[in-house]
Amino acid sequence: MGKVVGIDLGTTNSLVAFVHEGQPVVLRDGSGDALVPSVVSVDEDGTIFVGREAQRRLLTAPGRTVYSVKRFMGRGIEDVSGEASLLPFAVSGDPAGVIRIGLGGQQFTPPEISAFVLRELKRRAEDYFQAQGEFDFEVDRAVITVPAYFNDAQRTATRDAGRLAGLEVLRIINEPTAASLAYGLDKRDRGVVAVYDLGGGTFDISILRVEDGVFQVLATNGDTHLGGDDVDLLLVGQVLGELRGAGVTQTAELVQAVRRAAIHAKWDLSEQEQATLVIEPSPVLPAGYRRTITRDAFETMIRPLVERTLGPCRQALTDAGLQPRDIDEVVLVGGSTRIPLVRRMVEELFGRAPHSELNPDEVVALGAAVQADILISGRREMLLLDVTPLSLGIETMGGVVSKIILRNSTIPATGREMFTTGIDSQTAVDVHVLQGERELADDCRSLARFKLRGIPPMPAGLPRIEVQFQIDANGILSVSAHELRTGISQAIEVKPSYGLTDQEVERMLIESFEHAEADFDARLLIEAVNEAESVVHATEKSLRRPDFDVLTAGQLAPGEIDAITAALASIKTTMAGSDRAAIQAATKTLNHATQHLAEVMMNSSVREALTGRRVDDVQRRADEVPHA
Amino acid sequence: MTSKPIPIRPVSLECRTCGAGAPVDEHFCPQCSRILALGRHGDYFTFFGLERRLRLEPQDLERRFRELSRKFHPDYYYNAPASERLASLERASYLNDAYRVLRSLPSRVEYLLSLEGLPPARDQEGQAKVPAALLEEVFALNEELDEIRTMREGGADPAMLRARIEAARTPIERKRDEHEQQLETLSMRWDDLATAAPDGATSAATDAATLDARRATLTALRDQLLERHYIQNLLATIEQELQHAGA
Repeated sequence: MGKVVGIDLGTTNSLVAFVHEGQPVVLRDGSGDALVPSVVSVDEDGTIFVGREAQRRLLTAPGRTVYSVKRFMGRGIEDVSGEASLLPFAVSGDPAGVIRIGLGGQQFTPPEISAFVLRELKRRAEDYFQAQGEFDFEVDRAVITVPAYFNDAQRTATRDAGRLAGLEVLRIINEPTAASLAYGLDKRDRGVVAVYDLGGGTFDISILRVEDGVFQVLATNGDTHLGGDDVDLLLVGQVLGELRGAGVTQTAELVQAVRRAAIHAKWDLSEQEQATLVIEPSPVLPAGYRRTITRDAFETMIRPLVERTLGPCRQALTDAGLQPRDIDEVVLVGGSTRIPLVRRMVEELFGRAPHSELNPDEVVALGAAVQADILISGRREMLLLDVTPLSLGIETMGGVVSKIILRNSTIPATGREMFTTGIDSQTAVDVHVLQGERELADDCRSLARFKLRGIPPMPAGLPRIEVQFQIDANGILSVSAHELRTGISQAIEVKPSYGLTDQEVERMLIESFEHAEADFDARLLIEAVNEAESVVHATEKSLRRPDFDVLTAGQLAPGEIDAITAALASIKTTMAGSDRAAIQAATKTLNHATQHLAEVMMNSSVREALTGRRVDDVQRRADEVPHA
Repeated sequence: MTSKPIPIRPVSLECRTCGAGAPVDEHFCPQCSRILALGRHGDYFTFFGLERRLRLEPQDLERRFRELSRKFHPDYYYNAPASERLASLERASYLNDAYRVLRSLPSRVEYLLSLEGLPPARDQEGQAKVPAALLEEVFALNEELDEIRTMREGGADPAMLRARIEAARTPIERKRDEHEQQLETLSMRWDDLATAAPDGATSAATDAATLDARRATLTALRDQLLERHYIQNLLATIEQELQHAGA
């Protein structure tokens, strides 16, 4: 059995954490950075970049780089048409089908893009465990977090992404609940807690009662399309409007440059009373751009967005049967809760200062790691009881929804509904499953259509088919049915409305293995090119040294320099191709050709040093000499 | 003479692990202590280890809910064999469903009625006739709401409309409070009857009287529920009017 981790698959950034000696810790890279930007980029050769590298490519290859893909998980093209115009990458899809994202001639579904991010996190964790000298360092299982207000389709899409990344998804848990677990580690007392989670793309509010180590969610609410991205869009829209007014053409590169400047200004405004939004002059915008924004102006602009979070907060309180004064503690989660206006408005609503002792970016991943540990260790000090955020229903006569499992029901939960036939000898019945609070099917989220088949032929109205809906602890639905008179179980065909079928996931999984091989090859190729480049660089530097003739005087064989120049020319041609073996061979040849030269120069340098030159200078020069 | 209701207490469940029999209200096999598959018998009360009573201590229910959650939750069966994982899912789901129903008095009453064999307390064909006890209030309310609608269409001042709607709501809310009181009283009566003569413990002499009293209480409870549904619909209509009048 491999390792188990907790993953926060965020809109903007993703993190991986695990439990080490009873304490959850997030994994950081060499420079102490825990955040992996949820950005994926594909270059002309089909090489895939993830994280910081992909983020840098937002500016240089915006059409081939996708970000905030979480907003598209489990959704249809009609849901996102409004914002698609500001996105530099191509978004398409059939109505009522899965969204496709075009990156340089290839089409990806949102779960596939997310799987790239998950694979990167998996690799980061595996590198870490391997570096720790662990024998069994493979990471094969994970708890992945989702916004509490994610519907069934969005949860399923997340689970599919995990599978595509080669992870067994132990559990999908809600981000605010995960955060409460992380907080609950220190203080296991009782109380009612409100978790306010405003991330990059989603907003959640969850109200929990904590008692005897049981974290029981009483109510949850939210908006899966509200977050820091929307703040950025407001700023970006304003600046682009101004630039258009000044006759600047809008390109994908320009949008990204503006977006980056807007994000920096937003960050600054959380610390300072005013900030300057700066776009340095570049080919994208030769004149550059500069504008000062006061915090007041910023707050006036974003206030309507922050106000949109208050309605869900009040609804969750009502659903929990509580008043704001009943809340004992308020916890802030998500990067956007750094915005002072958000803090003020939350404090005003609940009448108490919110907690933010734990890093709002990291607390969700920590909680996911805790939950992963609970699952595999069977430890029972803590238990998380979550709820389903949306009511589940089926379409009945006239397009009206009949609710079967109400929102805020503790999960796992079941619901039953009886069906019968409308005409004699009918052997199949269509069932349309929906999620949402509205009365009409058209206003709710279509989850799936089922066909109940194999009903024994009987007069109309006689069959009694009991359909059981089961929502599991992940908040994911499954359906079973049997005819009560005959006891025959019904075959159910599931056609998810906005998701991938099992067959599609299987196919992608196979493709991704093929792809993984290609990815691996690509990585090796990059490493070979890098190594070749460094040898070429060092050689050329040596040859260009002003004291080259002095250092090598009389010590080189005839033709030796020619051999080196020939090897240089040859390796440069090889490096332009993608034959890794050839590049490695050329590197070896060049190394070989320069070996003698290296020795000569090293010896001369040492001699010079002995005649009074500084040692570090010698050392530096020695470093410049190529070495086999 | 009607016959005494036969208590339905199927004696046993079969443990899928060791094959031993277990009483229906057990959660774990007495023999091998593995979690038992959920049987099709039993009810929410017995599942919680409670008597079939309408009044219960909310804190006691919460405590039992947490304790049972700690026993059944699928989180704790991740490494268990598939049959136990399924049993855990079934029991945890049933526990949550039971908790939801037992948590509030009206849903408890509705559940009791179904257990005791009375048709569910919903309006039969969607549109129920106005319960006799509410005729007066409903008549007055409809008249007032009609008037308010006419005024709203005529462009009347929203603040004034709101005040009138609020005023119209007061008697209905009073009715609701009265009903809650009555539901409590009837619940107490049911509990007293059930405690005085638990199933199977009645003597032949008290039989008929007790059964009649029980039946009468259940019928009264059902009427209460029907009226309650009606009152809630009225309050929802008023709430809608308020929204129309503009917040």
